[in-house]
Amino acid sequence: MSAHAEPHAAHPPAANQSSRVDATTLGMLIFIASEIMLFGSFFTAYFFVRVVNDAPLWPPEGFHLPVFVAGLNTAILLTSSFTMHWALQAIKRGSRAGLQAGLVLTFFLGLTFLITQMLEYARIGFAPRDGAFGSVFYGLTGLHGAHVFIGLTLLAFATIRSFRGHFTPKEHWGVEIPGIYWHFVDVMWIVVYATVYLL
Amino acid sequence: MLDSLRAVTEAAVHPSIQPTRSGPKPPRTGWRRLLAPGWLRAPWMTALFFAIGTGIVVGIRSLAGWDPVWDSLLIATVGGLIAAPLGFLAGIGAFDYWTKYALGSPTEPDDHSGHGAYSWRDYFRVNTDHKVIGIQYVVTTVVFFLAGGLLAMVFRAELAKPGMQFLDGQSYNGTISVHASLMIFLFVIPAFAGLANYVLPLMIGAPDMAFPRLNALSYWLLPIAGVMMLGSFLWPGGAFGAGWTGYAPLSVVGTDGNVFFNMGVQWAGASSIMTALNFLVTIITMRAPGMTFWRMPLLVWANFSTSLLVVLATPFIAGSQFFVLFDRLMDTNFFDFNEGGYVLGYQHIFWFYSHPAVYIMMLPGFGIASEVISVMSRKPIFGYRLMALSLIAILILGFSVWAHHMFVSGMAPWLRVPMMITTLLIAVPTGIKVFSWLATTWEGRIHLNTPMLWALGFVSMFVIGGLSGIFLGAVPIDIHASDTYFIVAHIHYVLLGGSLFTIFAGFYYWFPKMTGRMYNERLGKIHFWCTFLGFNATFFPMHIIGLQGMPRRVADYDPQFGTWNLVISIASFFLGASFLIFIYNMIVSWRHGEPAPSNPWRAMTIEWQVSSPPPVFNFDQVPQVVGGPYEYGVPGARHAVFNGDSEHASEPATDSQRPQH
Repeated sequence: MSAHAEPHAAHPPAANQSSRVDATTLGMLIFIASEIMLFGSFFTAYFFVRVVNDAPLWPPEGFHLPVFVAGLNTAILLTSSFTMHWALQAIKRGSRAGLQAGLVLTFFLGLTFLITQMLEYARIGFAPRDGAFGSVFYGLTGLHGAHVFIGLTLLAFATIRSFRGHFTPKEHWGVEIPGIYWHFVDVMWIVVYATVYLL
Repeated sequence: MLDSLRAVTEAAVHPSIQPTRSGPKPPRTGWRRLLAPGWLRAPWMTALFFAIGTGIVVGIRSLAGWDPVWDSLLIATVGGLIAAPLGFLAGIGAFDYWTKYALGSPTEPDDHSGHGAYSWRDYFRVNTDHKVIGIQYVVTTVVFFLAGGLLAMVFRAELAKPGMQFLDGQSYNGTISVHASLMIFLFVIPAFAGLANYVLPLMIGAPDMAFPRLNALSYWLLPIAGVMMLGSFLWPGGAFGAGWTGYAPLSVVGTDGNVFFNMGVQWAGASSIMTALNFLVTIITMRAPGMTFWRMPLLVWANFSTSLLVVLATPFIAGSQFFVLFDRLMDTNFFDFNEGGYVLGYQHIFWFYSHPAVYIMMLPGFGIASEVISVMSRKPIFGYRLMALSLIAILILGFSVWAHHMFVSGMAPWLRVPMMITTLLIAVPTGIKVFSWLATTWEGRIHLNTPMLWALGFVSMFVIGGLSGIFLGAVPIDIHASDTYFIVAHIHYVLLGGSLFTIFAGFYYWFPKMTGRMYNERLGKIHFWCTFLGFNATFFPMHIIGLQGMPRRVADYDPQFGTWNLVISIASFFLGASFLIFIYNMIVSWRHGEPAPSNPWRAMTIEWQVSSPPPVFNFDQVPQVVGGPYEYGVPGARHAVFNGDSEHASEPATDSQRPQH
């Protein structure tokens, strides 16, 4: 193999920025589009079972969903979107303490949501194997739970970095990008909650 | 590069940044070599992660009191197919930068130690150079192509005469399933991604992809997926045997090897989503000044539309494979009618991905054909804008035709006619492209060299495959021909005569650029003609026996088809052997070929304006685009000019005067 590129310059040339959109933000938005389609496939399975199969009673006989507790949990997750926004605004103003407080609050609100959901699973009285209803219920809420977990992981990274002195009013991509993802997770939960629990 | 530039500024608070140098870091010594990213760290981290995955399964099962605690299939799935690959990736070093970043450590962003290849060893490590990744992709996909081809020859030997020879039903099903899965998920889709990885940033005048580390990661997911699919042969019960389509409920109740397919598709799919995301961001944000969308080469357009398809459609196959996996491992009932599941749901969700996937496997080939035909005909491409728009039209229509795979499945009857109409409509944009290619060659100065032969072979074979596609799009004919060898003939005319021919056009066309050497033209032409003849002799008779009623997916058949099957089997061995010429040509030319000039085809696109192979960072300064990419034979036309090119210094470059952000 003689195909080894000769070193030409020590640095790459500066790439031309051909769009006003920032590359990292655009990447996250495209990733979210892909995520929405993944949720779309789970929603498709849900509506196949519920609508196309013409289920006579929904939820079927013997299944009960804790609409109120899940509603409270929804409120907790929604609050975390506001604290996330607060954290971002704080670092834009230059307030590190605000950033740290906002991120820690967001993280613990998200964690509370996840733990509540696990407790709900433990007490709900049916398992994924119990009929197609169990499958689509655990499928959708479980997929969302996995996304909350990913979001929490990203938030944990941002939190660690905020305590180690990273991020400035001008450079805060590491907060903004996980923030976009976190808002997506929250909005997606509203759709899941409305479909699975309310509709 | 943008993410690393950003990291530079974010890390600026740390004074401990290493001095700038390019090239690989000096190797560590002693036991510390086990900690350095690479092939020494990968094995023990793979084992460690496998143990962690196993521990999670066993721990949860023993805590919950489920029996058996040591469930071998669950351990294989969680430990072997999910955790161990992550361990391998961590060991090889795919996550090193991100781990440091996440923990807030200094990230050494600008030493470029993982960029560029300085020895052959650099092709076997995590490399952020899109050119190295492109070659990694291409070589890996050729390896899996040969593996898939050998599997095809195994079952063609079985089919050479009626009766069961040396395969039983299960191993026959496993062989065809792994053949198709490797060819689709490990050859056609990633081979296009690999070629585009190499040439696309060069074509748009970018120093690299937008996210080089993500690019490296998406390559390393590929061998994992391929090894997983091949490894399914080793699992008790044999390889997955439900075909590359993996229809439920067969894939749920069939052999346990199906989990290898379910997870292999997830890894390959994740790889293609990441690459597609990277292409989209690169094309949108990193074009050279003056490179408007209407000045982009058609290969860039093709990959832009393909990437949109990948990003939006691939999650659906991920979903469908998750459902099958859950049905098998957790006893869920997504597709079990007795429990309220919807049996046809799998096919709908699967084909909602896999019909667009047909275009994922075709549009980049359209792009390659457009490049080659225009250059080798020495004429501007005919109908450039319509060529680009027809790609977009195919993209949009491609999402509305999935149920034409299900005309005989028992789906809702009212869905048939709308799906037939949209299916036939796709012939319009596709026809526009075919006629544009023909019009491009019209009165051109045609150079019939190897890439051009492959491109013209593609157009002719793809027309045959497209016509049988129109037959099959019509409900009445489809009902007659469904699940016969007519379908096999159709899919091979579009995927082998179509996609594979364009891939080889691309391999030969960009071989001088990638390796800096010329291939042997005579061997290239012999390869083309052998493959062309072998391909037609293999697959054309399948139209005939298919219409006579020979069913596909069976290991044995009625003796009346014996003669044709013997002909097909002999031809398929000739077809298989023809690729030996290709392998020989590539290896020998790569080592001893004549050094390639920077622009052997006298092409205008930017990748041919830099040396062969291009320098590590592609350009010293990004070029300035001043015109369309295909103005062959137009006096004085230029596509791009480089800094210091005084001839065009005074030319009014209208599009370049937009503000630079």
